[in-house]
Amino acid sequence: MKRNKVILAAAGVLAIAGSALISVPAQAAKPSILVWVDSPRLPGAKEYAKIMKGKVDVKVELHAQGDLLAKVQLFNRVKKGWPDVVFGPPNDVAVLRNPIINNAREISSLLKPDEIKNFGKLNDWCKGADGKYYCVKNDMAQSVLWYDTKLFAEFGYKVPTKMSELFAIGADLAKNHPGYSLGALGDAAAYSSYFWPSQCPLNNEKSATRVVINAKSEKCTRVTAALQPLIDAGVYYPGSAFSPEYIKVGQAGKIVAHIGPSWFGEFVLRPAGSFNIPAGRLTAAPMPVWDGEKTNFSGEWGGGIYTISPHAKFPRAALDFAIFMVGDKRNVVDVKNPDGSTGAPTFPAYLKGNALWKAKIDADTYYNGSPYAAMAAQAGKVWTGVKPVRYDADGAWGAAYAPELAKSKDIQKALEAYATYTANLAQQLGYEVTTK
Amino acid sequence: MAKVKKYKQRNILMKLMLAPYLFLLIAFGLIPLIMAVLEVPGESLTNPDGGWDAFKIVVQDFRFPQAVKNVLGFMAIYVPLTLVLVIVMALMLDVRHTKWSKYLRMAYIIPASVSGAVAVLVWWAILEPTISPIKSVLNAFGIESATQIWQTKNLVYIIAIMTFFTIAGNWILIQYGSLQSISSEIIEAARVDGCSAFQLAVRIKLPLIRKYVIYMAVLLFAGGLQIFVEPQLLTTSVYTGIANAWSFDQLSYELAFKSGDFGGASALSIILLIPSMIGALVVIFKTDMFDDKTIRNKQESEKADL
Repeated sequence: MKRNKVILAAAGVLAIAGSALISVPAQAAKPSILVWVDSPRLPGAKEYAKIMKGKVDVKVELHAQGDLLAKVQLFNRVKKGWPDVVFGPPNDVAVLRNPIINNAREISSLLKPDEIKNFGKLNDWCKGADGKYYCVKNDMAQSVLWYDTKLFAEFGYKVPTKMSELFAIGADLAKNHPGYSLGALGDAAAYSSYFWPSQCPLNNEKSATRVVINAKSEKCTRVTAALQPLIDAGVYYPGSAFSPEYIKVGQAGKIVAHIGPSWFGEFVLRPAGSFNIPAGRLTAAPMPVWDGEKTNFSGEWGGGIYTISPHAKFPRAALDFAIFMVGDKRNVVDVKNPDGSTGAPTFPAYLKGNALWKAKIDADTYYNGSPYAAMAAQAGKVWTGVKPVRYDADGAWGAAYAPELAKSKDIQKALEAYATYTANLAQQLGYEVTTK
Repeated sequence: MAKVKKYKQRNILMKLMLAPYLFLLIAFGLIPLIMAVLEVPGESLTNPDGGWDAFKIVVQDFRFPQAVKNVLGFMAIYVPLTLVLVIVMALMLDVRHTKWSKYLRMAYIIPASVSGAVAVLVWWAILEPTISPIKSVLNAFGIESATQIWQTKNLVYIIAIMTFFTIAGNWILIQYGSLQSISSEIIEAARVDGCSAFQLAVRIKLPLIRKYVIYMAVLLFAGGLQIFVEPQLLTTSVYTGIANAWSFDQLSYELAFKSGDFGGASALSIILLIPSMIGALVVIFKTDMFDDKTIRNKQESEKADL
């Protein structure tokens, strides 16, 4: 009994005790940094450690994205253990800047002019209201229209430039080619591919104390009204693109088109363990525009960031690592990944690295025409109404939207579940939530 | 004189034997409890001014009512299911002792060796229609798609099944053990009086192991209240977010490690201590499990036997 009831408290004690064992690298002549990355970034980080051997002690640890948020609060209590530079999800920059957590320092004072030039507009997400940079964006995860050129030719479709044209393809698939799909809408896919580009107001931070969340806005309902009949017809899958069920659809070569982030090709559509779409079929087109709008905006799914801890003893050495990851050929193009591919799967958010990546993708014969042009066109068109917020806006897609979509298959209801959930989170953290 | 010395020796021995338990109780029971109480009034993102209203804030959290519903719904299935099936299995195992019983007992313990984390993966594979080994059974029930199974409303059942299989084997053996404590004379007497195997189980054996059954019920209750591993693994690695802040312990974890609200997390842990404490008191005072009267009676009857 007694042991049972205190398990949680005991776990807390153990966790605190455990973290106390991780010592901070001691100040020495040779800089040393502790790096946290997730598994897609691990080969690059290890490469960096090898390159810097003798100059900087680089200790690399593998951590899931978002691990820092859980651990940093413990580090803050024992006042040690903070990693110097961490790869995390994009929204973390706002959470980590919160004074109670305080684990993302400004980096503007560390940056060289050449580096700022290389950020271009691609690093604007990391810019605070004070105009200073607080993170280095690893990649742009802007949505583009991935499509299968072979199926398009076979079914006689034209590449859609308007959303209504894409949905017309969906209606035709439902009628004449049942079993073929236009994509999965679980996780944050519907958000980054449809709601965000449609400017549906979710997590639109207006000031440090006010956020707009309104799932009933016309910019949201036009999305759900268009998608609902196609979900009912089986053209859109109301679950995750990573579920075994949908991977089977992908492997059967039945995905006609899929609006997805720029990493979708290298990370989801192409790999043998994933959709395994044969060479010579895929490419990407710019986002279709919502009817009546002027700009074909994109959304983002992922697009991780490197944050530097204010406790880092060698902040510039930590920043050097982030710049290497986004700007150096040895990571962006050459690094060997465990699945046999080389280079980063993502679209670097750093002009120098981006140019290197472009050369690599352009030369890749896997695609039926390089998808790079579409990505480049969309990179500057991510709708900027969405801002990093202090609550876990990304996690809420899994917590509130996905379960409701799986249950009722009603995407408007699922979106409203998300809005209610995030509004509650926002209020808890001191935001005023408004609908306009 | 010799008697006093012997008594003293026994006293030291007793203290020595108690020491490890006391150490564990203090290290993993009392100290964390005191730390939790001290933690509650701390400042946090959700309680920026600090103070004891952390209790109020946590109960008013928008996820709290849902967690109450989830955990109570889960326990309403899990506790009776485990209780009834375990007792039935133990009684059946006890009906006749053959050379096969020991293999049967071993068979019961095998599912229990599949611990919480692994059980999640095993049950995920079983219930995922595309890869399930019982695909045809699922299809016969009209289940063709994973989205039909992995829904929030089904979680109480799924988690109850997972937890049942993790824990049932151990309890079957424990209750089998408690059945062995019944004097063979009583069983023999009942048999002579014409008791059938069923009557023997229900009328004789069950009442005699009553206190062990109550003890088990209370432990199941306390354990169920603290359900954490299964929903947490589901939500972090199988279906992201499907069981977010689903149980009390998960909410507590979420508060501490997502919102940085250690005060709220501690407050919730302390609230959870209350029902568990009541359960412990029931075992101590309402059953004769820890009654020293029975122990004394036993000692006296042993003396009388001499």
